[in-house]
Amino acid sequence: MPEDAIPRHTQVFAAAGTAFLRVATTAGGMGILLFRILARFFPPRIDGGEIWKNLYKMGVKSLPIVAITALFTGAIMVVQAATIVKRYSAEGLLGWGAGFGTLREIAPLLTALMISGRVGANNTAELGTMVVTEQLDALRVLAIDPIGFLIVPRFVSIVATLFMMTLFADALALFGAAHTGKALLNVDPVTFYNGFTAGLLDFGDVANGLTKSVVFGVVIGLASCHFGLATTGGAPGVGRAVNAQVVASAAGIFVLDYVTSFILG
Amino acid sequence: MTSPPVIRVAGVSKAFRAAGGGPPARVLKDVNLSVPKGCLYGLIGPGASGKSILLKMLTGLMKPDVGSIEIEGADVTRMGELDLQKLRLKFGMLFQNNALFDHLTVGANIAFPLQRLFSLPKDEVERRVAERLACVALSGFEGRLPGGLSGGQKKRVGVARATITNAPIVLYDEPAAGLDPVTSQKIFELLRKEQRAIDATCIMVSSDLDRLLTVTDRVGMMYRGELIFDGSTHEAQTSTEPRVRQFVHGLTEGPL
Repeated sequence: MPEDAIPRHTQVFAAAGTAFLRVATTAGGMGILLFRILARFFPPRIDGGEIWKNLYKMGVKSLPIVAITALFTGAIMVVQAATIVKRYSAEGLLGWGAGFGTLREIAPLLTALMISGRVGANNTAELGTMVVTEQLDALRVLAIDPIGFLIVPRFVSIVATLFMMTLFADALALFGAAHTGKALLNVDPVTFYNGFTAGLLDFGDVANGLTKSVVFGVVIGLASCHFGLATTGGAPGVGRAVNAQVVASAAGIFVLDYVTSFILG
Repeated sequence: MTSPPVIRVAGVSKAFRAAGGGPPARVLKDVNLSVPKGCLYGLIGPGASGKSILLKMLTGLMKPDVGSIEIEGADVTRMGELDLQKLRLKFGMLFQNNALFDHLTVGANIAFPLQRLFSLPKDEVERRVAERLACVALSGFEGRLPGGLSGGQKKRVGVARATITNAPIVLYDEPAAGLDPVTSQKIFELLRKEQRAIDATCIMVSSDLDRLLTVTDRVGMMYRGELIFDGSTHEAQTSTEPRVRQFVHGLTEGPL
């Protein structure tokens, strides 16, 4: 029905319904894609060579941007805490404060957003371009399963990349925090690491952040592959797909961050 | 006794939902077509008449709304994805816009089906790739990426990839688009020679009728989703059906 044929007072419900259907379609599409990905593991029908190629492209090439983000994130944590630490002479707690926030929340969250922007967007654009230029159809005609050949390696690589990058970001963020503490507050890095390892933090805090990184990796992997495969409409369609992937990944990351934080305590 | 057709299309129709919510656009209307083994079938018709969609349906990339499509007696429209994968081992296909894999070199693109589907030794794959490239006059292009090729060169790489497995059924969507007349003629003659060598069944969509009709055994003409003519190449050239006559002879006056 044309929009102007809908009574004005019910248009808001129509818009809400349309938005709900769009979200449900996307969530359903991603659910079906996850099922199809998992089905390729029993028995394994995955291209190992493609996994290594993608791990290099997604993981190794993301190291510089993740390193910069992590170093400055650690430094910012200390800059923000500096006033309070000075006022209460709580230099011994600087390591704990920076470590707690970094390991459980900041490192996995910011790393996920960086990977979503760099790797997820690129993945959607590549897959979208392959769809609109019939490269996926060509794979099918060549009797090659696009899910096993293209999607599973990319999904696995994104999840593994985010897990490893989060570990890397944890270490670099703490390094940045420790040296900013020395520069701004004259807190010796040894004091910083003592505060960090004095018993207030344990492996559970690291595991909490790493669990989130896996959840975020699944979100980015599914969203980037789903929107890439669903691309229609040539070059403008690829742009729309990338845009939708970035928005959906960010929203998914924040919602699931809340849920995971709640579950993991 | 005549052998059953390799490709049989019976009563196939297809409509796409219109983007603006209007009535569905019918792109194929009750198409019936049979292609016997070893036949080179030319499919002609104005743009947007449903030729490429019909080719995609033959490989199971699209399903018709009604009708059946049989390849060597097996109904493609009823197959699941795994059965389709097995069936597609019998196909070679050149897409209208070539569909070369951007991230692979020319050599890797052509070798791709051999490497993925057949366990051939590396030197055998390289030999066959070099031989294919020589056939399409692109020797020495193995290491180039598709992005650095002209439209005609991409088309020739696509032809080389479509023919490297010696598939018994080959579908060509505009094999000569973007090629100069000499290369175009060479490509048509090459495809004809190879089709005869392995007795392959081919469907060739092309707008280059002057050259296409020199190699085809039979011709079908599509117009607005309908197969309005199906006969021998000679019958197509001498047809008195106004639309066929106008299209085959490139006349500006007529019903098209």
